[in-house]
Amino acid sequence: MKTFILANRVLKQLKGDKRLLMLSIIAPLIIIYFLKLLFDAFPPNVPITNFTIPIGALVVHFLSFLLCAILLVQERTKGTLERMLIGGYNRSSIIAGYTLGYLGLATIQASAVLIESVWLFDLNYSANVLMLLFLVIWLLAVVSVMLGIFVSTFARHEGHVFPFIPLLILPSIFLSGLLINTDALPQWAAFIGKCLPLHYAVNIIHEIIQPTFSLSETYFDFAILGSYIFILWLFASFSLRETE
Amino acid sequence: MNHAVEINNLTKNYNQIQALKSITLSVPVGAIYGLIGPNGAGKTTLIKALVGSIKPSSGYINILGLNPLTDKWALRRKIGYMPQSASLYEDLTAKENILFFGKAQKVENIKQKTDEVLHFVELSERANDLVRNFSGGMKKRVSLCCALIHQPKILFLDEPTAAIDPHLKLQSWNLFRKLANSGVTLFISTHLMDEALLCDKVTILMNGEIIAVDTPQKLIERGKTVITYKDGGAIKTSTIPSTPEGLANELLKLGLKPTITEVSTKPDTIENIVLNIIGIKQNLKSNT
Ligand SMILES: Nc1ncnc2c1ncn2[C@@H]1O[C@H](COP(=O)(O)OP(=O)(O)O)[C@@H](O)[C@H]1O
Ligand SMILES: [Mg+2]
Repeated sequence: MKTFILANRVLKQLKGDKRLLMLSIIAPLIIIYFLKLLFDAFPPNVPITNFTIPIGALVVHFLSFLLCAILLVQERTKGTLERMLIGGYNRSSIIAGYTLGYLGLATIQASAVLIESVWLFDLNYSANVLMLLFLVIWLLAVVSVMLGIFVSTFARHEGHVFPFIPLLILPSIFLSGLLINTDALPQWAAFIGKCLPLHYAVNIIHEIIQPTFSLSETYFDFAILGSYIFILWLFASFSLRETE
Repeated sequence: MNHAVEINNLTKNYNQIQALKSITLSVPVGAIYGLIGPNGAGKTTLIKALVGSIKPSSGYINILGLNPLTDKWALRRKIGYMPQSASLYEDLTAKENILFFGKAQKVENIKQKTDEVLHFVELSERANDLVRNFSGGMKKRVSLCCALIHQPKILFLDEPTAAIDPHLKLQSWNLFRKLANSGVTLFISTHLMDEALLCDKVTILMNGEIIAVDTPQKLIERGKTVITYKDGGAIKTSTIPSTPEGLANELLKLGLKPTITEVSTKPDTIENIVLNIIGIKQNLKSNT
């Protein structure tokens, strides 16, 4: 119950902050468009479809993380987090409410990114594949929200979130298998790559965009994404303290 | 007497800083209890410890028979907390803010209650405006509504009248008195010394230590009154304690001689008295 009240408030707040809302939906669309321009300039034998959806997923991953972390840090600096905790919201309803609220936004982001990619790049995926792609991006967004909550507990003001961006996002771009196969990397780099949630999302995406794919090949990666959600949820609940 | 809040030997350390040093006090039910002290005295730290937002380093707190840390959930329904900063969602309206905090407490007839508290603080007309567009004083009043919505038995207000205009300040104190008359206990912190007069009892806090606990009347009596009178053309003054007996005695001594033509009295302001008390304590400290 409290979870829904909270989710509802997060959505209202996002709706109220028009600039933030536009940015979080328009920014991914613009990035995908630039990607299209970039790929159009590539030699024709580059398999661009391998990159489009994974990059879209990365953008959603990054933005959900950033927005969620910043909004929660703002709750801390403005004192509303303390007020919530003293006013009867417990931490599990705060985490669940935030996740639910952000999923509303992530759903819009994921749909927008998918629709634009399919349209710009003339991808003719079946409805099944599209559903699965949507699911992957969406799950990745849940991971991002959990990560955002977790990181926000270490930050005393918004600026503290920024060091986490290169820490999380740069390895995701270069080591997660987005641009090159993780196995081609040195062992230590491949290890880092395999610790990143994006790695598993990219694995699933690469599997299901093949002309013939077997769903059972993706079970393992889906399970890992699920475990990420569970483990980060645990971390987030332990790090979000009710008393200082 | 019945006590709403009892604190015993409470201390709080932040690394090197001792923010609270062995605080012991009790707050009678239905009183307006003032916590007065300059910036950095430890007022916010004390209130946060009382509402269960920070963990004390040692000591004992009892609020309506409950412990803020172990009986968190039972206590949250009974206390209202207004933090020092507005602590509101700027992108929501006044009403939405109040509803959001009220719903966590499962307030019955919440819509009607929200209208009532907004009416109480005279903000009914702005109920549906975004808090972002509110002045500092209006935000304080919305914040008070959020603390009031579930009709708590005790209200902890952290500097509710800081940085608002004198008229609104007076209005706020009228509201506090109304609440106290309806049986609510109010624990109010302020750095404005003159507000001591508006409380039933005050504690003066300085560097994390209680340096005085008294009623405002008794505080006033700690001051001096300067009597100025004209005796046969010469202006004379004498300084006496600000007690009712002090004034009577002095007037008796002067007698109503026909040569005395003008008498005026000027008691110390509460501000001076409190500052004096704080100053004396500081001098004692630096001497030892
Ligand atoms: N989170 C904190 N970490 C370290 N020191 C703190 C913290 N909060 C308060 N203090 C210190 O404790 C003292 C009392 O602060 P505070 O309770 O905010 O005073 P007041 O509300 O009376 O202005 C100050 O010296 C302040 O610097
Ligand atoms: Mg303070």
